[in-house]
Amino acid sequence: MAMRTDEPARITLLQRERPLRPDLFLVIPYMMLSGLGLLMVYTASAPRLEALGIPPDRDLKRQAVFVVIGFIVFGVVSMIDMRTIRGWVPAIYGSSLVLLVLVLSPLGEKVKGAQRWIDIGPFQFQPAELAKLAVVLGLASLLASAGSGPLRWDHVARAIVLVAIPAGLIFLQPDLGTMLVFGFMAIVMLFTSGATWRQLAFLSVSGVIGAVGLFQVGAIKEYQITRLTAFLDPAADLQGARYNQYQSEIAIGSGGFTGKGLFNGSQTNLRFVPEQSADFIFTAVGEQLGFIGSALVLALFGIIVWRILVAAVNAKDRFGRLVAVGVASLIAFHVFVNIGMTVRLMPVTGLPLPFMSAGGTVFIAMSAALGLAHSVWLRRSPVPGERAIE
Amino acid sequence: MKQSWRLGAIGLVFAGLFGVLLLQLWRVQVTEAANYEAQAAQNQVRLVRTPAPRGDIVDVKGRLLAGTRPALAAVVDLGLVPEAAIPDLAQKLSAFLGLPASEIQQQLTEAGSADQIVLREDLDERQALFLVEHREDFPGVAVIPQPVRSYPEGDLAAQVLGYIGRPNKEDLERPDVKGTDFVGKAGVEDFYDEQLRGTEGLIKYQVDARRDVLASLGEIDPQPGSNVRLTIDADVQRQLQDSLDRGLRFARKLEMEERAKALADRPAAQRLAEAAAELAAEAEAAVATASADEDASDPQPPHELDPGTVLGPVWDRLPIDSEGVCVPVERHTVDIGETVVLSGRNPRTFRLLAVDGEGARRRATVEVAGEVIEVGDRDSFATNLRVVDLAPERIIVTATDKWCPVRTVGVVEDPRDGSIIAMGSQPTFDPSAFVDGLTSEEWEKLSSVAAFTNFAIQGQYAPASTFKAVSYMLAIEEGIYPLDRPIDDRTLGSGTEGDSVAAGDEEELKPLTSDLDKYNCTGSFRFRFNDGSSQVFRDWKRSGHGPLDLHEALEASCDLYFWEIALRIWNERDAEGGIGNENLFQEWARRFGFDQPTGIDLPFEAKGLIPDREWFRQEQAKGSGRVRADGTWVGGDLMNAVVGQGDVLVTPLQLANAYSAMVNGGTLWRPRVVEELYDQDGNVVDERPRQVLGTIDLEPASVESFRRDLGLVTNGPIGTARGAFADFGPNVEKVGGKTGTGEVIKAPRAEHEFQVDNAWFVGVAPIDDPRYVVVVVVERGGSGGKVAAPIAKQLLQFLMNGPDSITPLAPGEDAD
Repeated sequence: MAMRTDEPARITLLQRERPLRPDLFLVIPYMMLSGLGLLMVYTASAPRLEALGIPPDRDLKRQAVFVVIGFIVFGVVSMIDMRTIRGWVPAIYGSSLVLLVLVLSPLGEKVKGAQRWIDIGPFQFQPAELAKLAVVLGLASLLASAGSGPLRWDHVARAIVLVAIPAGLIFLQPDLGTMLVFGFMAIVMLFTSGATWRQLAFLSVSGVIGAVGLFQVGAIKEYQITRLTAFLDPAADLQGARYNQYQSEIAIGSGGFTGKGLFNGSQTNLRFVPEQSADFIFTAVGEQLGFIGSALVLALFGIIVWRILVAAVNAKDRFGRLVAVGVASLIAFHVFVNIGMTVRLMPVTGLPLPFMSAGGTVFIAMSAALGLAHSVWLRRSPVPGERAIE
Repeated sequence: MKQSWRLGAIGLVFAGLFGVLLLQLWRVQVTEAANYEAQAAQNQVRLVRTPAPRGDIVDVKGRLLAGTRPALAAVVDLGLVPEAAIPDLAQKLSAFLGLPASEIQQQLTEAGSADQIVLREDLDERQALFLVEHREDFPGVAVIPQPVRSYPEGDLAAQVLGYIGRPNKEDLERPDVKGTDFVGKAGVEDFYDEQLRGTEGLIKYQVDARRDVLASLGEIDPQPGSNVRLTIDADVQRQLQDSLDRGLRFARKLEMEERAKALADRPAAQRLAEAAAELAAEAEAAVATASADEDASDPQPPHELDPGTVLGPVWDRLPIDSEGVCVPVERHTVDIGETVVLSGRNPRTFRLLAVDGEGARRRATVEVAGEVIEVGDRDSFATNLRVVDLAPERIIVTATDKWCPVRTVGVVEDPRDGSIIAMGSQPTFDPSAFVDGLTSEEWEKLSSVAAFTNFAIQGQYAPASTFKAVSYMLAIEEGIYPLDRPIDDRTLGSGTEGDSVAAGDEEELKPLTSDLDKYNCTGSFRFRFNDGSSQVFRDWKRSGHGPLDLHEALEASCDLYFWEIALRIWNERDAEGGIGNENLFQEWARRFGFDQPTGIDLPFEAKGLIPDREWFRQEQAKGSGRVRADGTWVGGDLMNAVVGQGDVLVTPLQLANAYSAMVNGGTLWRPRVVEELYDQDGNVVDERPRQVLGTIDLEPASVESFRRDLGLVTNGPIGTARGAFADFGPNVEKVGGKTGTGEVIKAPRAEHEFQVDNAWFVGVAPIDDPRYVVVVVVERGGSGGKVAAPIAKQLLQFLMNGPDSITPLAPGEDAD
């Protein structure tokens, strides 16, 4: 601090020359992950498509379109000032609720027992991905108004209601993974905005009681529990409940330290891992690029999360900081749960790997989220020199 | 920024989560990578087993008795069927296999997920084509080649060949046996299973996750099993089975004639009175619905041995077949509402009205000959009827006839090396039935007469007078002969001490010293025990045989002569310088291979029994009920043993093998049914060596005289089989033998009528240089000379004079 007050003029000048210089530590890893994601989607989908007599680059092209759109969305969102965005929060939150209701209506499409998609022409839209953004923004807006100092109980209560409404709608799809994301983000954001330990303990206990209650009244089915706990049971039926996880573990483990090389993965080429280009895209990394590739991916995500947290620290206002923290927790949680499930640390919950898993909504939504964090960084405080002007 | 520690904490938590991921990735991708690599490699390879053709079994001249023919089987590989698809698959298979879908589903669900299950063997062309053409409808179902066992000669030598079937739990413990294999279950198929089975082949495929085959990675051809050449001669075997089959019917006809005669002999008034008493007893039994805890394996007519039982009406109701000949077990499965006619001279109707109750407490309401009665599971009711099973909708009843000849057993052995030329028992079965699958009805029918059992090695019988051969050898080798005539009113202690010949008689008696000395057979003698009671020992021929030497005693099968030998051994068991060996007889018997399995290369051989004092004591201690509860082994027990009665048990094979040793000069061979094993190119891979179990030191003169005396049994003036061999034709002088009549039911209550005997005949030919020893048993058949000897005669005719020389079965003399 002392240094800054000593040399205000020079820094102010620099900053004012290029006030919106992008955070390359954020943007470059984002683009690297997206590019690697495209390559992995291709290696994982080509053998399947080829076997079906479909051009093997179909999924690659499709995902490339999403990546381009995602990049544009990232850039545009980065440009928008947080205060502007804060004004849109009620509209974003409200429309995401409407979409969550729509997906449950006959407009929504049921796939494998879950109603998560709305068809828009050749593409499918997943309202849950948008809802994640809406929850981050809604919570940030609500908690930003709380003022500094210990959080009041009425804010906690309002935060619960704000999360519970979309969570309830998502529970009906059902999509347990997204509910867990909400819970994680809510805890992290409440913690950031000064929730007391008692409030956090209360939230945890009521969360557990709520889950047990839902199970007791039969809203959570036995098989859902089985699926969540099967990964803990080494004797679980490897051909049944644990087949996906078992095969993905083999894929990653057989990659070894250096990997089998691109297009050389037997698990990938012979289609042993189901859903590989979507939720299990990391297995393609693990098998083909080995521990080196896995560690690289993990490092890139680590850098992104680190940069977002740095943005939070330097945020100009509470809203921006909370948005950044929310985005950081969103990405970190997705990464941990997704990669964790491929190596049997976590149950299979169907959370995609940000920027890499095939899928349009998730890529665009994650890009928008990253754009929000980037926007916070671009308008950070103190933007060097700004304090001097004040 | 006073809350910035909170952001720092969040950063640490995230760093921790990423750290955990990195550690786990390190473990999976570096520490345990080799393990996962192996699993990945295994993932892509699928092994398909190709069954090895089972080796052929041929007779001694190379004629095929058991072979394999190529066939297709439908199997389902459960690794290829998603769990959710099982109900649908079961539904589709149900239509194809004609089985209830629930049953198939259960089978599919119960099997482990990696298992291959055989749905149907031996598909016909149309079925195989259907499955192949509709592959999409039957996920995981494949048509694979699976050779099928065939038995081109049907039931020929079935009990020697045995049969094959799916492995049971025990079989599966063998390292090379899998659930989809066939393994031998009995006979040569079982004993030589390992050699016959061969080694299965493997085809390695590279497959993808959907198990679609991408490439073949190599193939190991199956190694066919070795072929087995039996010592059995199919021609002789066929003749044996034919004669045993005819013999069984022959024995049953004789039994019916005897019954008719017994009925006719009795005054009409007495029969009427008895019939009334019987009907009253029967009504009483129906109300009481007799005891439920009787042994089900040996169903007995409830009144059989009760005093006052009347034969007439009972016999009228015993089961008979369409030709009016008795059948040992008549079995009916009756559904509710169904009526069956129970056979017998007075046929009755049987109708099942209802079955009710649960589990063990079921009751059935039935109507027999117009009378409605209630019976429970395992009840005996209405004279000889018995309930063996009560299911919800049906009842299984049997009618048994304990007097009816139940089976015939035969062995033909080559005494020169122990080779079995023919062997089996009747009724028998066709092993193909096991390949095609037996219905439970067929199975029960065959198993109720124990058709799958080879009684030549598994049946244990009292050998009766055929056992006199052992005493004969003992006498002539040891020089132990009777006194010159029986002493009446001898005192014989019931305990161990004080058994002795009354002193007063001794001076008048002369111990015989040679096999040519004559013993005066008076037909019976009486013992007076120390406690004052007495027992008369009667020869089978009540009037006696008159004076005879050892040779004539064998020829006429004089009981008294051999009893006297037993008494000599018994009385001189402690004598200094005399015999001094109580177990002399048992030792001789064991030398000839009795009381132990012969070690033939077939499973489940029984060992027989030669009783002695030690055995008696052990049985008494065990409280098995086989021996008297009080007292000890006494001279009477030994007297029983020397004539092959009492507790002596032998298998027909043991007897054939012992006679072989007696006529070949004293070499006890290990009998064998397999000559050699050879591979597909005809090279012998295992020349089953002939094995000598022991050598008995017999004087050539003894052997020669024994052979000659066997010849007298069939040819001599007082020979017990003279009648049976009267129409033998040429070479009759070259055949010999020994008859035997074994009492099944001891101490008959009424004279003659209740007697149930096993008939024996041991034939030897040619007697000057024996090549064949033939043993025939007719279970519950009557006397050996009358029933068993004619059956053996046909075999000896076949062996000596060829197939065209065989004369019909005609009853021989009713002689022991």
